[in-house]
Amino acid sequence: MIKLVDIYKSFGPHDIHKGVSLEIKKGGITVLIGPSGTGKSVLLKLMMGLLKPDSGNVFIDDEDITLVGYNRLLEIRKKFGFLFQNAALFDSMTVYENVAFPLREHTDYDNTKIAGIVEHKLSLVGLSDVNDKFPSELSGGMRKRVGLARSLTLEPDIMLYDEPTTGLDPIMTDVVDDLIYDTQHKLNITSVVVSHDIKSVFKIADNVIMIYQGRVIFCGSTQELGSTQNEYVVQFLSGVKDGPIKVY
Amino acid sequence: MNASRELFIIRLFNSIGATTLSLFKVAGEMSILFISTVKCIIKNKMRYKLTMKQIEFIGVKSVPIVVLTGAFTGMVFGIQTYVGFKDFGAESMSGSLVALAMITELGPVLTGLMVAARVGSSIAAELGTMKVTEQIDALDAMGINTLDYLVAPRLVAAAVVFPMLNVICITFGLMGGYVVNVMFLGVNSVEYVDQSILYVGFIDLLNSLVKAFVFGLVIVTVACYKGLNTRLGAEGVGKSTTQSVVISCVLILLFDYIITTFLVSL
Repeated sequence: MIKLVDIYKSFGPHDIHKGVSLEIKKGGITVLIGPSGTGKSVLLKLMMGLLKPDSGNVFIDDEDITLVGYNRLLEIRKKFGFLFQNAALFDSMTVYENVAFPLREHTDYDNTKIAGIVEHKLSLVGLSDVNDKFPSELSGGMRKRVGLARSLTLEPDIMLYDEPTTGLDPIMTDVVDDLIYDTQHKLNITSVVVSHDIKSVFKIADNVIMIYQGRVIFCGSTQELGSTQNEYVVQFLSGVKDGPIKVY
Repeated sequence: MNASRELFIIRLFNSIGATTLSLFKVAGEMSILFISTVKCIIKNKMRYKLTMKQIEFIGVKSVPIVVLTGAFTGMVFGIQTYVGFKDFGAESMSGSLVALAMITELGPVLTGLMVAARVGSSIAAELGTMKVTEQIDALDAMGINTLDYLVAPRLVAAAVVFPMLNVICITFGLMGGYVVNVMFLGVNSVEYVDQSILYVGFIDLLNSLVKAFVFGLVIVTVACYKGLNTRLGAEGVGKSTTQSVVISCVLILLFDYIITTFLVSL
């Protein structure tokens, strides 16, 4: 269970979060939506302690990670898988080495077993014959899929996806959506997805949280999302520029 | 008029205060980085593969530049001192001066400055790029201690290879001085070597090795600190790289003075 209580976070003069409180229950897919720049990715980083809130508390399975030491935080982070917006692959390593990296660091598996897991994870995201390529030789979409494969290698309890389908073609978007859905249901993990893709939201989400101007303005199921009268949510879902959400 | 003068004085003191605070903050953060990394090295299992890779990069690949620096410095210093001593008919004394200068000062300082430019900039740029492309966040997200993975191998490698690079620099400096004085300027070989050995004591060698060791730690700590604190994309990487070299060079000169003062007083 992930619980954020009254989170305030700012970067310099910019207030990103002004009292965000939310709870993500175990075993479902929660999608965070909201206009660009509202701090959705920052929320993911707060959830695994990559950033510290200016004030407020972050609970992971009832443990407040804002109060724990660095070594304990490293232990807690092993529960997580994180797919970064730009994949964050290690550019000095090949695709194979990237995906194998968490296994080499955290397990005693031999090379044969690691090779099997890497091949399996790469095939899950629709990649083959890329083992020896470096990230700079891959397209944006391929990099993202390698990042996804890497984040799934340790089969974490909680998966955080930062815009997993941005930059992918519609078919691959569908594949990744299925992968997120299947992974969640097979392993009964908790998934938190930041997404701008409304079609994906309705396809995979159990719960949806919308962030706007540093606060949670909607929290509910996809059915509730579809029927809400909240004019901010309605404008965001319809994707029109005229409405209460100011673009300029 | 008075009001504007008051404002100027307030701004001046504000600026001095802010700069001083910032200097102390950076010095404090670098010290914390260094101490935390040393703790990591003591507590955690050593990463041999990464450390060997860094020994190759910091040490082996720096040998050519260190050899060139040492040799040419020794040769130039040999000529300069020969010219000076010739007026007194004490040309062979050039050997002792070259030896003392190379061992106590020029060897460690020039090795430090040259390697700071080559290695410090590279480390700052590499870690800086990793920082702005979220690769360091990715390490953190995987539950990997970044100090243990990125800084510790570099620090261990520097501690091992800097004294060795220093010895190489000194050796080639002495050879340069010998070649110029004995082979080109006609100084008696035996006298030159005798003079070279005569004034060099154990404390000088110790002084030299301690300096090289400390300079190595300083260069890597500064470079890693600047790299890990890089912001604002490509421009930030450029700034970190430049600052890393400048700060390292200044600190090398500062520590050179401190260590010399301390060891001379022993």
